[in-house]
Amino acid sequence: MKKIDIPQENNSTLNGQRKVMYGTNENGEFQRINYASSVEEFATITAVEEYQELEKECLKEIENDISSPIKYFMYKNRMDLPTLSSVVDMFSFRVKRHLKMKHFKKLNDKILKKYANAFNIEIEKLKDFKI
Amino acid sequence: MINDFSHSQFAHCESGVVSTLLTHYGLKVSEPMAFGITSTLSFVFIPIVKLNNMPLIAYRDLPKNIVKNIEKILGVKVFKKQYKDILEANLELTKLVEEEKKLVGLQTSVFYLPYMPENMRFHFNAHNLLVYGKEGKNYKVSDPVFEDVVECNEKDLTKARFAKGVFAPKGFIYYPTFIPKDIDFTSILKKAIKKNAKSMLTPFPYAGVKGMRKLAKAIEKLENRKDERYLKNYLTHIVRMQEEIGTGGGGFRFLYAAFLQEAKAFDLDNDKLQKASELITESGDTLRYFALKCVESAKKIDKFNANEISEILRKASTLEEEAFRILKTI
Repeated sequence: MKKIDIPQENNSTLNGQRKVMYGTNENGEFQRINYASSVEEFATITAVEEYQELEKECLKEIENDISSPIKYFMYKNRMDLPTLSSVVDMFSFRVKRHLKMKHFKKLNDKILKKYANAFNIEIEKLKDFKI
Repeated sequence: MINDFSHSQFAHCESGVVSTLLTHYGLKVSEPMAFGITSTLSFVFIPIVKLNNMPLIAYRDLPKNIVKNIEKILGVKVFKKQYKDILEANLELTKLVEEEKKLVGLQTSVFYLPYMPENMRFHFNAHNLLVYGKEGKNYKVSDPVFEDVVECNEKDLTKARFAKGVFAPKGFIYYPTFIPKDIDFTSILKKAIKKNAKSMLTPFPYAGVKGMRKLAKAIEKLENRKDERYLKNYLTHIVRMQEEIGTGGGGFRFLYAAFLQEAKAFDLDNDKLQKASELITESGDTLRYFALKCVESAKKIDKFNANEISEILRKASTLEEEAFRILKTI
């Protein structure tokens, strides 16, 4: 049986942990072996950086009064629209409106509190959002 | 608390937890076995279902497939419960681990687990872990993808157990309550392998071997797409689904190959098992190479060769088709 290649590279995303995968020993028997893969590292970092990029873009949109702070915190918490809608228990078309500044400005404290809870922040962080 | 609990690290969370649970309660079942007898290997590509704006790609059956099916397959009894009430969920878990000294499996979100490295925390709700004790406000946790046991305070664990969204765990707990004496593994394995072969060879074009080819075709179509950011995200999304989310490498293929090897001890057609195991190992290797090429292309988009990459995926699909055609006749 062909020997399975076990990558022993660096994967900084695991904070020093190493995962296991199944590989074969000299006798062709399968066993769990620790590994670290730079391919996985790159994929993870790309996903993390995508959210950071979305956050940055959102800040600009907030400056221009287009997007609301809710959108910023949504990305900061690595959520997408369906996830956030589920967490605050509202229809996604409604949440989508709240991501826009002009609708956000009209929101009452009760609704804002829901979002603040979802993001685990104080309601003031939403109301007096500072870039 | 269980004093003599010994933690093991596994390639995949659900199969790892079920393996540890069964073994702890008296039935030695390895991780590949737990994965294989529940026919969990799969491939699904559904472009219209989006996660973070990316198509749904999965290399295994739906979450909870192993926990749900293990009862019927092995004849074991598993206590399973979801909760509406958070307080009740915590009281019962505390009672189970403190007073009854039980080892309990839990479904949780990944995002709210404080011991999870920052870069690994995404909103994935079908993570599985074990709780084996409690000290003060901290649960003693055996997370199968970690090298060692960890602790998690009640507040954070509760948040992870009651996270909302797709596959919301709703405080789901499970542990075996009855293990039968005589289990006919030969017929169980035969059935499970055939079932998996059938699902991998399904005529449905978005699943199994055909699903892999569908994804290959979708990648080819990316050739004309000029949006670099989208391409980079798309290619690394595939890699994450295949490698990163605890698949034991090569989209669970090595795990399944290990299962086929282990099945050789149970009086089946060993030549077929050996041949199929080798083919699926080769497919796993091919998928790993496919992942490497995806990442290389994501790093340098101008080097992205859609045809070359989709050809590698097609090669893996051919290997798997051959393997499961053999296994279908076992």
